[in-house]
Amino acid sequence: MSDTQWPRFEVFVQERPGRPHLHAGSVHAPDPEMALLNARDVFVRRPECASLWVAPSATVRGGTAEELPQLLAAARTEPGTSSIEYLVFAKVEERGTLTHVGEVHAAGPETALAAAQAAAGATRPLLALWVIPAERVERTLPEEAPSMFDPSRHKPFRDQAFYHIQTALRRLRRDPSAIGHRQSVESKR
Amino acid sequence: MRLELRSLLADALLGLADDEMILAHRDSEWTGHAPILEEDIAFANIALDEMGHAGIWYRLVAELRGEDPDSYPDRLVFHRAPDEFRCIRMVELPKGDWAFTIVRQFLFDSAEVVRLQALQQSHHAPLAKAAAKIAVEERYHDRHLHAWVRRLGLGTEESHRRMQTALDQLWPDTVQLFEPPSHESELTAAGLFPAAEPMAAEWAEGAAATLADADLKIQRGTPGMNGGREKHTDHLELLLAEMQSVARLEPQASW
Repeated sequence: MSDTQWPRFEVFVQERPGRPHLHAGSVHAPDPEMALLNARDVFVRRPECASLWVAPSATVRGGTAEELPQLLAAARTEPGTSSIEYLVFAKVEERGTLTHVGEVHAAGPETALAAAQAAAGATRPLLALWVIPAERVERTLPEEAPSMFDPSRHKPFRDQAFYHIQTALRRLRRDPSAIGHRQSVESKR
Repeated sequence: MRLELRSLLADALLGLADDEMILAHRDSEWTGHAPILEEDIAFANIALDEMGHAGIWYRLVAELRGEDPDSYPDRLVFHRAPDEFRCIRMVELPKGDWAFTIVRQFLFDSAEVVRLQALQQSHHAPLAKAAAKIAVEERYHDRHLHAWVRRLGLGTEESHRRMQTALDQLWPDTVQLFEPPSHESELTAAGLFPAAEPMAAEWAEGAAATLADADLKIQRGTPGMNGGREKHTDHLELLLAEMQSVARLEPQASW
C-alpha cells in the first residue's frame, strides 16, 4: 500500500522577538504554506509566539551526539562548488531542545554540519545538531503576527480542574437521582 | 441611543450571533473526523473562534436589551425554539463532505471579513471595538480557507468535482449573506450598522476572484430563497435538539 501521508515539516517557534527559534515538533502538510498554517494551529494556539519557521523534514541533516561522528565522516570539501546558507540548530542541555544558534555557509549538508560542529561545539559538547538549507525554511512575516499569533494571547486557558467536573460527578455517583431535580449538579462558579 | 434604535441594532446583531453559533456547532461536528490530525486541530480552533465571536455578539445584544450579559447569551443559545433563531440557512445545512465544509466556511468567512471592516465604523462604540477584535481573527480564517479552496479547486479531478458541486449547492443561499436587517435605513442613517448593498458588492467581487483562481465556476441565474432570517430549514431543529439537550436537562445548573 502506498503511503498517503503528506510530507513532514519540522516546526520552530520564536516566543518573543529577539529570542532564538526553538524546535517545537513536526506537522504534516502538502506544501510549505499549509505547513506554516498547521504549525500555527498545532503549536501556538496558547503560548506566546512572535515568529514561526517550518522546513521539510527531508531537508534536515544532522542527529544526536552518537550519530554525529558518522555523519561528519561523510563531509568532503568540494572545491569550486558554490556554497549556500544553512541554519544551524543545536541542543546543549539535556532538558533543552534544538535551538537556532546561527548560520554557516557550505557547499553541501555534510560540510555544513562539520562547520556547524566546529563553531557551535567548540566550547561545549552538543547533544544534537541540525543544519537546514536557509532557502527551504518558510517563515511567517512580521506583519502576519497580529492575525496569526496575537488572538491566542487574549484567550483564557483553562485546564479541566477549572470546571469542577470531578466534584460534580462524585456527587452524582453518590446520588444518581440528583440529575432529575433542581438541586444544582454543580454549585461553584 | 434611542430605544427603538437600540432594539433594531440588537435584532441585527442577534442575526450575526446566531450565524456564528450555528456554524460553530456545524464546524465542531468535524472534531475527531477531519481529513488529517493537523486539520482536525485547526478546524476545531476555527469552530471555537466562531463560538467566541458569537459570545461577543450575544453580549452586545444583552447590553442593548438591558439584559444580564453573563446569563442572557446562554438563555438565547440554549432556551430558544428553532423559529426564534435568526441565522441564515446556509449555516444550518449538515456538514456534508470536506469540500462542502470548506466552501461554506470560505463563503461565510470572506463575507465576515467585509462586514467586520464596515462594522468598525459603527457609531456604537462597543460594536466598533468588538468588530476590530474579531476582524483580526477572521483574517487568519480567511487565509486558511483561501489555502484550502485553492488546493482543492486545483487539486485532483475528484476534489475539483466535489468543490464545484458544493459551490453549486451553496451559491443560491449566499443571497442571505448580506440581506439588509429590518429598518436598515434607520440604522444606517444613525451610523450604527453598515448598509448591506455596498458590502454585498465588495464581497461578491472578492469571492468571485478567489473562486476563479481555484478554477471554480459560479452558476448564476439560480436565485436563492430569500424571505428573511425567520425562515429555516428543517435541519435547524435537529441541530438544536442536540446542541440544547444538555443545557435543558438541568436548566439551573451553573457551569
